[in-house]
Amino acid sequence: MSKPHGIIAEFDTPADVMAAARVVRKAGFKRWDVHTPFPVHGMDEAMGLKNSPVGWFTFVGGVTGYTTGMLMIWFQNAFDYRLVVGGKPLFSPLFAFPVSYELTILFASFATLFGMLFLNRLPCLYHPLLKNRRFAQVTHDKFYVVIETSDSKYSETETRKLLETAGSKHIELVEE
Amino acid sequence: MSSPAATATPAAAHEGSGWEKLPYVLVVAGLIGLVVGAVSDPKQFGYSYLVAFMFFLSICLGAMFLVILHHLFDSSWSVPIRRFLEHIAFLTPVLGLLFIPIAWLAPQLYPWMTIDPHTDHALHVKVALFNPPTFYIMAAVLFGVWTLLSYKLRSWSLKQDATGAVECTFAMRKWAAGGVFIFAFSLTLAAIYWMKSLQHQFFSTMYGVYYFAGSVWTTLATVYIIAMVMQRRGYIPILHRRQFHDMGVLLFAFTVFYAYIHFSQYFLIWNAAMPEETFWYVLREQGSWWAVGMITVFGHFFGPFLLLLRIDAKLNLKLMIPMAIWVWLMHYLDMQYNIMPVYHPTGIHFALTDLAAMAFIGGTLAIVFLKYFHAHAPYPQKDPRFEEALGHGASSSADAASEHPGDED
Repeated sequence: MSKPHGIIAEFDTPADVMAAARVVRKAGFKRWDVHTPFPVHGMDEAMGLKNSPVGWFTFVGGVTGYTTGMLMIWFQNAFDYRLVVGGKPLFSPLFAFPVSYELTILFASFATLFGMLFLNRLPCLYHPLLKNRRFAQVTHDKFYVVIETSDSKYSETETRKLLETAGSKHIELVEE
Repeated sequence: MSSPAATATPAAAHEGSGWEKLPYVLVVAGLIGLVVGAVSDPKQFGYSYLVAFMFFLSICLGAMFLVILHHLFDSSWSVPIRRFLEHIAFLTPVLGLLFIPIAWLAPQLYPWMTIDPHTDHALHVKVALFNPPTFYIMAAVLFGVWTLLSYKLRSWSLKQDATGAVECTFAMRKWAAGGVFIFAFSLTLAAIYWMKSLQHQFFSTMYGVYYFAGSVWTTLATVYIIAMVMQRRGYIPILHRRQFHDMGVLLFAFTVFYAYIHFSQYFLIWNAAMPEETFWYVLREQGSWWAVGMITVFGHFFGPFLLLLRIDAKLNLKLMIPMAIWVWLMHYLDMQYNIMPVYHPTGIHFALTDLAAMAFIGGTLAIVFLKYFHAHAPYPQKDPRFEEALGHGASSSADAASEHPGDED
């Protein structure tokens, strides 16, 4: 067996896996996840997940878009090619606003999408868990806690013991 | 702080606290101020009173809108807050009585009332709407319609407390579905007649929705605080994080919506640059009105927008309580901005009657509201969506949420 990717523990019910998630969180693991066939209400809190930082990407994207719109219109109409239109001033934030507003939304959506992909480390063309036969049941009726070996708290015997006491009936190592 | 006793028996009769005497103090103080003001300067009194009236009309109509919205979307999260919203909406007949001074002073407040339409083209083309008999008939119709709608929405809801019959929900849904059209038309007419017609030459197709956006914004901030008080005093122990979250989200949404509407109104007028429209904003750029306009841009929109952007901010009472006070101040300034330049064209001018009118109308409505509130169950007892509303709070630990809506974060 090559270098292990992590240890997976199987559970039969959402309640079991939720209780196990609390145990793993309290043990202080950082690089771990829970996989379920459907969203389990309250799992975020059980795992201690914070609000996603993707909003910051959105915010920065939005501010960039707004600034780009304003600067672009100022540069084009009032600096590079000065042109009076409809007796209006060469530049006013008023007529520049609709375009800047659209660019705010455009850049914010792009930043959200790419920020999400970046934070999730996507696209991911290969993942060790996908070749594990047992794990395939996660799309059917089984619930899994996965702890990666790269976690500083990971120890092959101790972590296995922890998952056993958390109530898992099937635990195995997944290779890289 | 929810006491266990209140949780067990959310009975109809509950004791008030010392704070509930405050509205009486406000009414008496306001009345004295108003009488002094009316004697010394009846016109200033009239405009001050109109500003306060439009301010509180905002909250009553906003509450009516939230009740209608609840039924139209068949939502479950708003079940715990619906009863007191129904009470606030049913304050419209009280506002009908409070309208009497405005009806009395109307010929002094609205210049078009005393102008001969044959000498004023702008008035002549609008004379079908802007003539004194129509003004008074319309006021009666508007208050009649609002009273009927809010009465029906509330009485079916109270009936359900006793019977638990699902027919009540269906009836409320029907009133809400028809009511939302009546609501939109009546609110628009109210905004046109009582505020916009102060300068009858003005055109703006967005004026009604502009008043609506600011109204619901103010209502949401008010409702947030009322809900917080009700939860802490144990009247509505079923209020959870979810309710505060959703009220906060709606407040945020209406922050943006108001800005969108007001910007659109200004932008279209600025871009078209037609004198019969621009004069309205030109007047509002004189003296300190210009500063009020800027405060609207940054204080009504940018500040609240940036502060409410984060999810946890909407649950943080240290932010939300000052925010609600700020929202009241901003909406009050907005009403001043719409009404007062007619009387004080050189800049904003605060008078004693401004405060007195706010105290009097606010106090009167608060007294009636508390009377309603203590006479009925504090929240719908047998709503079909009741269990679901509780379910929303169950995922976050209910006791933590009841102490402090922001504890979870």
